[in-house]
Amino acid sequence: MTYYGTHQYVAARMSTATPFQARPRFDLLDPLEASRLAGLELLTEGVVEGFLAGLHRSPRRGFSVEFAEHRMYQPGDELRYVDWKLLGRKDRLYVKQFEEETNLRAMIVVDASRSMAWTGDPETLLPKLAYVQRIAAALALVLLRQRDATGLIAFDEVVRQVIPSKARTTHWHTLVRALRELQAGQGTAAGPALRRVVDLLRRRGLVVFISDLLLDQTTALRALKFLRHRGHQVMVLHVMDPFELELHGPAEARFEDPETHQAVILRPKDWAEAYRATVSGVVSDWRRQCRSQGIQYHRITTDMPFGLALRRMVASPSGLV
Amino acid sequence: MISFLQPWVLAALPLAGIPLLLHLIARREPPTVVFPAVRYLQAVTREHERRLKLRHWLLLLLRTLLILALIIAAAGPSAALRQAGGHGPSALVLVLDNSASAGQVVNGTSRLTDLRAAARRILDGATPADGLWLLTADGIPQRGSAAELSRVVDSLAASDRRMDLGEAVTTAGQVLSADSRPGGIAVLSDLQATALSPAQVSTPLLVIRMEGQNPPNIGVASLNAGSQPWTVEGAPVVVTLAGDSGRSAPVTVSLGGRAGRAALALVGTPSSIAVPGGASGWWTLRAFVDPDEFRADDERLAAVRVAPIAAASWPSGDQYLQAAGAVLETNGRARKGPEVTVGSLGPAASIVLPPADPAQLGAVNRALERRGTGWLFDVIVPTPGVVDSGPLLGTERVLKRYRLRTTRNSASAGVLATVGGEPWIVRGADVVVIGSRMDPEWTSLPLSAAFMPFLDAMINRVARGQIASLAAAPGDPVALPDQTTGLIANDRKWTIEGGASFRPPEVGVYYLLGGRDTIGVLTANLDPRESELTPASDGEVRSLWSGARIVEPGPAAAEAFAQVGRADLQAPLLWLAFALAVTEVLLASGWRQRT
Repeated sequence: MTYYGTHQYVAARMSTATPFQARPRFDLLDPLEASRLAGLELLTEGVVEGFLAGLHRSPRRGFSVEFAEHRMYQPGDELRYVDWKLLGRKDRLYVKQFEEETNLRAMIVVDASRSMAWTGDPETLLPKLAYVQRIAAALALVLLRQRDATGLIAFDEVVRQVIPSKARTTHWHTLVRALRELQAGQGTAAGPALRRVVDLLRRRGLVVFISDLLLDQTTALRALKFLRHRGHQVMVLHVMDPFELELHGPAEARFEDPETHQAVILRPKDWAEAYRATVSGVVSDWRRQCRSQGIQYHRITTDMPFGLALRRMVASPSGLV
Repeated sequence: MISFLQPWVLAALPLAGIPLLLHLIARREPPTVVFPAVRYLQAVTREHERRLKLRHWLLLLLRTLLILALIIAAAGPSAALRQAGGHGPSALVLVLDNSASAGQVVNGTSRLTDLRAAARRILDGATPADGLWLLTADGIPQRGSAAELSRVVDSLAASDRRMDLGEAVTTAGQVLSADSRPGGIAVLSDLQATALSPAQVSTPLLVIRMEGQNPPNIGVASLNAGSQPWTVEGAPVVVTLAGDSGRSAPVTVSLGGRAGRAALALVGTPSSIAVPGGASGWWTLRAFVDPDEFRADDERLAAVRVAPIAAASWPSGDQYLQAAGAVLETNGRARKGPEVTVGSLGPAASIVLPPADPAQLGAVNRALERRGTGWLFDVIVPTPGVVDSGPLLGTERVLKRYRLRTTRNSASAGVLATVGGEPWIVRGADVVVIGSRMDPEWTSLPLSAAFMPFLDAMINRVARGQIASLAAAPGDPVALPDQTTGLIANDRKWTIEGGASFRPPEVGVYYLLGGRDTIGVLTANLDPRESELTPASDGEVRSLWSGARIVEPGPAAAEAFAQVGRADLQAPLLWLAFALAVTEVLLASGWRQRT
């Protein structure tokens, strides 16, 4: 898996910027660099525009499959929505309309625990929470632009923010403001937050769970499975810092968890290989557990350009747009 | 029982605690790193924790053992293979230092008596299966049974010879290398510091340090009788004292048993004492100090020849020889007369140089042939060279010379000095022939400081038949002049082949005979280093003889053969240390690969 680093982002910027494009492709920039260029809203808009422009697909294409009704074909309608079976029976052109296409309710659940405030290298990487703020804002904008009602739940050891789903375009600014004000808490308790989703999404909808997954896996999976059981589409976005993938540090160090303050003393050189294998095992385990329940699982790292992260979500069989 | 060559190294044993100390220091303050994924680390370490602890303790143990093994190996450990009840067939060389210094008296007993007693005790512990050698100051290893060698030991007297203990130990090692039995060397000596020299020791070496301090001593280190021959008026002699008993001592010099002249001499400072001469002939000159615990160096001998100074005639056309002759006459070392003709062939003794005019060479050669010298001038050799032999002259440059050709069978007969291996100064009958003219164009000799002593010796001694005045220590080889046919000293006579070397057996004056004539003298005196009785310390002994064990005379008898049966543990310990180091590396790297 190859992500865009600083050098790649420069190359991407060079390759995508033309004399007619005054604004850079925020979606392909290095996340930290992009964050320095613009504020949360502007950046997010830039990311989404770049992302949609690069997608070359109609923003009207919804992922929901819930059929609502037929209507007569009118010039301009896309041929892919033509119901060819009905044409065969009635010799008339009808197009299919989907209920969720305009009424999807999405809830973005953001982990704002202490571990999310960590970055392995402040000089080159955004903290995980800052990265999540931006990717969540971009995701919300994408959903709202296709008139999907979008809400937000932020949690640490308790549920911090709850913004119900709304489809109004101006609602995005509410979400962005809430995201901007989000501060890292202390512990992590995903269960109450995910249960809160059940209350907020009465109809079947989309739940996007964004976290570093440094939490109680059993409790979180049980809650996610319950959401899935309620008919919601569930997507888990596993955010990791690149420095969490490998073990670095001095010859011998006391590694301390910022949330629990538990510590382990070891020599990184001795344990690097075993740690790498363990992380790989954890990721594989999350992926396997999620897939077994029909939950989409994506792992992204904080050095990955926002556009690529969005594209990864879209690339799933039932994409967001 | 394990013993150590350098037991003081064991003081470093606490260094073995360094790994533990480092471990504790490292454990105390590791830097804290904030890391959210500690739960992953916990999962990893939980799985490997027991192995990790075991590995840490193993590494700690390995490192501690490694340091212990290195320190103990550095201390030179050895262990007895058998108990004291007996020993297997062994080879033992007893180095018994009966050099002159062994004659010193310590606590009323001669040191040699103690050394002999210690040697006998060691020999008593030998079995018939042992190979035994005795090496004394004469430098010749004697092999024999314990009884035979005991008899030799009993008959040993202090020798006038010096014994170089380093050479003796090396010789002993060579003797043992030819024997298949496990071997060892036991050194019995007063351990004079001046007698020790470095030696490579590959066999166990036991050094027995005798009890009692060596006594302070003062002796005559040198006696210089000056230029020879003396006149009846006598000459000043120079005496130098050596030793460690004080700064000055009265010294007396006497000629031929006459009442001597005494003076107070400082140790290490040459003192000049005027001694009256006697009638013409050879005299023995003695310089002596008051007796002390070491008698052998209290007296020193020199041979003096009393004779009228030579009456020489100098060539009128040779400025260098003329000037030299004038100086010698002024200093009373020569007078004008026909006794010795310098530069050309005269009616009596002559010193013949090549003629200035090559056209006269044939006439000179014919005259030499008529005189029966047996040497002629041959072709001229323009190649420069240096004087490379002969006690007569040191190194001098010779730019041009005539090759000297002998008409006799023996080409080396009568050669006094050579250049490039070819005769340059020769003597035949009463004629001395020199291959170069005394001119800076021919040789650098006329311009050197050695020119005057050279001419003095030539006219007063060489031309008159006294070829050599030699000095040596007893036992040292001395190359005798070719004309020597025998030696005589104290009514003892030795017949010598010309050009052979001779080892004076003891202190004395040896007259060199050329047929019926006395052609020189060899004076044998004690090596002045024997006067320094200060013993070497244990550290000095060990630094010169790596691996030597130093013991008192008491346990020496038991240790002499026990050391042969001792196993050197140094090499096994070094191998153990190597194995521990390899295991440590494998354990550390192997662990990283597994984790």
